[in-house]
Amino acid sequence: MNFSVMLQLLGNGMLMSISIFLLTLVFSLPLGMVVAFGRMSKNTIIRGIVKFYISVMRGTPLMLQLILVYFGPHFLFGVALSSNYRFIATIIGFSLNYAAYFAEIYRGGIESMPKGQYEAAEVLGFDKFQTFFKIILPQVVKRVLPAMTNETITLVKDTSLASAISMVELFDVASQIAASKSTIMPIMVAGLFYYVFNFIVAFIMEKIEKRLSYYK
Amino acid sequence: MGQVLLEIKNLKKTFNEDLHVLKGIDLCVKEGEVVSIIGPSGSGKSTLLRAATFLETIDGGEIKYLDKVAATTENGVVKYASKHELKEIRNYFGLVFQNFNLFPHFSVIKNITEAPIHTDHVSKDVAYERALKLLSKLGLSEKKDAYPCELSGGQQQRVSIARALAKEPKILFFDEPTSALDPELTGEVLKVIKELAKEHMTMIIVTHEMQFAREVSDRMIFMEHGVVQAEGTPDEIFNSDNARVQEFIGKF
Ligand SMILES: Nc1ncnc2c1ncn2[C@@H]1O[C@H](COP(=O)(O)OP(=O)(O)OP(=O)(O)O)[C@@H](O)[C@H]1O
Ligand SMILES: [Mg+2]
Repeated sequence: MNFSVMLQLLGNGMLMSISIFLLTLVFSLPLGMVVAFGRMSKNTIIRGIVKFYISVMRGTPLMLQLILVYFGPHFLFGVALSSNYRFIATIIGFSLNYAAYFAEIYRGGIESMPKGQYEAAEVLGFDKFQTFFKIILPQVVKRVLPAMTNETITLVKDTSLASAISMVELFDVASQIAASKSTIMPIMVAGLFYYVFNFIVAFIMEKIEKRLSYYK
Repeated sequence: MGQVLLEIKNLKKTFNEDLHVLKGIDLCVKEGEVVSIIGPSGSGKSTLLRAATFLETIDGGEIKYLDKVAATTENGVVKYASKHELKEIRNYFGLVFQNFNLFPHFSVIKNITEAPIHTDHVSKDVAYERALKLLSKLGLSEKKDAYPCELSGGQQQRVSIARALAKEPKILFFDEPTSALDPELTGEVLKVIKELAKEHMTMIIVTHEMQFAREVSDRMIFMEHGVVQAEGTPDEIFNSDNARVQEFIGKF
């Protein structure tokens, strides 16, 4: 294997890591909002179920959850695993896990909103829907941004856990090449990639925070 | 003075089963009247305003705006009007909070125009025109694009008054509009309220500013322990022979 082949393999791994990252965000950001509402529901049964879900997602290793989502259907129901289910299972596993974390961040943000904002909106005649989307949510976004930055940075690194179910993402590729060719170089490249990736994530989040700093 | 705009009868409110905060309040306000409510801390003044503006549900009595019954009690059970009717009735009043409760992420002009545009379906142009007129009246024209955090407390409170007025309410409630302000800023807010009084805006004002209340009110109400202890013109209240009223006013 020459150098350029190796780089190409690593490059494919990077693309897969980026795909896992982006798709996880696409699904878990809105799903987290749904989970947050379930967690704050007045219905004790819904609230209890969601609370349990969050505690399982946060209380067990993501790697274990990925393995369960991937192999579960086969061992529990005898479903034959199709070849593209590996990728789907990865996205499902990551999204379910991250939705739980995001939900708790959203909930913290929503619950930190002063009661007066709701009351002012109510007296002015805004309905519940308008109050949430016009008054509450935009302020919550600003409040949760620092916590969201942390979580997003963790997600970049967590994509490497997909190697647990043999997803051909960057970490998986790098460790395989390193093992077969007895060289540390691919691992160094992977490390550099995660670092640069997170550098960009942090940069973007900082830009968003700046944009929202027009008010206190 | 004109028709009765607000009629509250035998209003009761209890917190936590046994904290009887309002024990049967009667209050009737006519168009153009300025009524101020005074009384010691914890007497239930804020609770009364919050009940009248539906921020608290009542446990007994009746609330009526014009000919529309918002809440009434039948056989000991309180019944509120439908959601739709309450929405309509809400348009009759505005509330100015002690701590403003402006929307911090909206500019001044947006704080004022958002409700008329999205809840009353006033056109954008009309809403902006109305808001600019109010801002110039309240001396805030040059602040229209500022954010609340860039304003002094007095300016913020004036914006919140403009925000309430932009919905063109028939009655405006104030809950201690100057209590959160530094003493040197209360004047500018009280001046605005006095001007509104001159224009015969109907107002119900909870305040600890006795001199202001005396000047601006047609009628004053002294509340204590959840009941109206005394009621009358400012002169009647200030010269009351009710010992509690004397003691309370004597403190100022
Ligand atoms: N949501 C609530 N839950 C429980 N008790 C409450 C609640 N709101 C008010 N109270 C109690 O009701 C009583 C009356 O309160 P309220 O705020 O109406 O008094 P106030 O006359 O406005 O006093 P102040 O002059 O200090 O503003 C107080 O004892 C207060 O602790
Ligand atoms: Mg009060």
